[in-house]
Amino acid sequence: MIEWFHPGLIYIFGALLIPVLRGRVKKAYLLLLPTMAFINLLLMSGGVFSSKGKTWSLSFLGYDLFLGQIDALSMVFAYVFVIASFCMMLYAIHIKEDGQHVAAYLYVGSTLGVVFAGDLFTLFFFWEVMAWSSLLLIWYRRKKVAYQAGFRYILVHFFGGACLLGGILLHLQTTGSIAFETFHWGWEMSRNNLPSNLILLAFLINAAVPPLHAWLTDAYPEATVTGAVFLTAFTTKSAIYVLIRGFPGVELLIWLGAIMAVYGIVFAVLENDIRRLLAYHIICQVGYMVSGVGMGVIGTAAGEMGINGGVAHAFNNILYKTLLFMGAGAVIEVTGRSKLTELGGLYKYMPITFHLYMVGAYSISGFPLFNGFVSKTMVVQASAMWHLPMIWLMLEGASIGTFLSIGLKLPWVTWFAREEPVCEAKEPPKNMLAAMGIIAFLCILLGVYPKILYNLLPYPVHYEPYTLSHVVTVCQLLLFTFVAFRLLRRMLHGEPTITLDTDWFYRAAGNGVIWFCEKPLMTFANFIDRNVMSVAGFFVWFSRNPVVALSIKKEEIKLIGKKLFTSPERVEEYQRGLEEERRRYPGVLPRLTLGASVFLILFSLSLYLILYLLMAF
Amino acid sequence: MKHLFWILYGCIFLSIGAGFFVHIYFHPHIHFFWEALPIFNAVYGFIGCIVIIIGSKALGHYWLHRKEDYYEKHEGIRSEDK
Repeated sequence: MIEWFHPGLIYIFGALLIPVLRGRVKKAYLLLLPTMAFINLLLMSGGVFSSKGKTWSLSFLGYDLFLGQIDALSMVFAYVFVIASFCMMLYAIHIKEDGQHVAAYLYVGSTLGVVFAGDLFTLFFFWEVMAWSSLLLIWYRRKKVAYQAGFRYILVHFFGGACLLGGILLHLQTTGSIAFETFHWGWEMSRNNLPSNLILLAFLINAAVPPLHAWLTDAYPEATVTGAVFLTAFTTKSAIYVLIRGFPGVELLIWLGAIMAVYGIVFAVLENDIRRLLAYHIICQVGYMVSGVGMGVIGTAAGEMGINGGVAHAFNNILYKTLLFMGAGAVIEVTGRSKLTELGGLYKYMPITFHLYMVGAYSISGFPLFNGFVSKTMVVQASAMWHLPMIWLMLEGASIGTFLSIGLKLPWVTWFAREEPVCEAKEPPKNMLAAMGIIAFLCILLGVYPKILYNLLPYPVHYEPYTLSHVVTVCQLLLFTFVAFRLLRRMLHGEPTITLDTDWFYRAAGNGVIWFCEKPLMTFANFIDRNVMSVAGFFVWFSRNPVVALSIKKEEIKLIGKKLFTSPERVEEYQRGLEEERRRYPGVLPRLTLGASVFLILFSLSLYLILYLLMAF
Repeated sequence: MKHLFWILYGCIFLSIGAGFFVHIYFHPHIHFFWEALPIFNAVYGFIGCIVIIIGSKALGHYWLHRKEDYYEKHEGIRSEDK
């Protein structure tokens, strides 16, 4: 009997068969793969497969790699990734192009590879597969903007990957170990801290922490409708997973997370593209998780609350964020429009989509009875337990902004706001609605009965979300957000603009660098090149017959004198003579005998020798 | 639709009442001084929302907003290629 089977490999090897199958068989097969992975996870939880420790060892360059590192943390992430991938594939199942499905499953499989990686080399391998397989989901949109956004996306990820590899190799050099465990991290710029700082930088890039976040909001909205749904879940949340493994309780992360949360909501208010608006809210929500990881000092009650909160929020976030992207994707699929300024009044045609979207919106806003409530409050509670007033206010404030943008502004402008619908529309295909329905059900289930989720978390949960005081305070916060929205809603119509973000530095400023290289730098280079070549050319010309060349040069100087003192006719005559001499140059060259050549070579070598001896003394 | 709004306004007043109720009868454990105020969250939600809207819009209008073809001009993409 086999000890274990890697769930990620079910996707990766399973994806190879997709192009061979046709029709209904293919559709069934596409849904079978996540089901098999889910059963695999159940077998692991049930203890049939190994459910704890490191397994699947592989020897590579003299190191032992572990493809399976199984504990409560990796299991909870694996569960949500597998469940989400089933719903996402159901949402995308009408897509005819096999390549999109293959790319999606490679992406899911490699993310599971990251989740179960027991050593840093395995982590790096799957990390890179994740980067390029997700790139394909962007490029399948087949629009020029998507290609360009994809290139920017992959360049940022290659940079992150290079940092990760550099960090891993330095870590190996300093510690001699490739095990994926908590890193020693410190502020000081010393040789010992460099590897962990590089690795942290790579993780923060994937977690989309500002100012390293622009790849996300730049590329995700340009992906295919179904591809974007896959993209929302895996890269950022697997980054949260590796942060929990590698950097729990790093104080810097608390602040970065809180800043992320506020940053996301500010930009979401400014955004006109619905998927970009949602993408900014990925950043906002990942902020809660990063903050939770930062508070997660292991061994303390508040720390365990932070980690539990971060993990639970990642779990819930994957569900409702997927649902929101599915809703927005459905609108784009049927109308072909993605801008708030071009949408409005669609409720008449798409009421089911609206209601399913709203389940996601209530969840992300953290309304009681929806899943966001049971996890977001854990992170906020952790900040209260650590007595961090600023963090508490920032995280609560982010809740306000989330409800404002996703729960009020986006649905109001898209489905209402106008008397008449802006265009003809209809409900999206049934499989899309079914996928949304399943996720909406899960969002409510976990909101009403959070015990299922709490039992999966890495530490025992001593937290009850449904106390009267929690429910009342959250209701007050959100209801008064609604009151303020009612008063100021005229200000919230979309504006046909884009918002500058940190991608400006490599888009606009990057173009500046290219301009600088092409224009001033190139002109300068050409100038130098021309001059050096003309000097070299002169020496070549001169050395062909130095005696005649010297006389020509002498004549040229004489000509300048004659120009000043004699009549133009004589100057002209003289010039003609000089031209003739130049034309004849180099003239008949004396043939050197072999002996003379040898003598010259020996002579010059002996000159070198004398010079060398002089220098030596 | 009208009924929905009345229910909503009812909930808003109810939440304020409930805030006082919880405060008087349950004495919840507080971590920060402002939690002693039974309607703190309502005030924070209201003011926070206004600050977010006005603050963000100001940031956009005075600094960050650009025309939609801003990058295309920079990157030299022709509009028909899009």
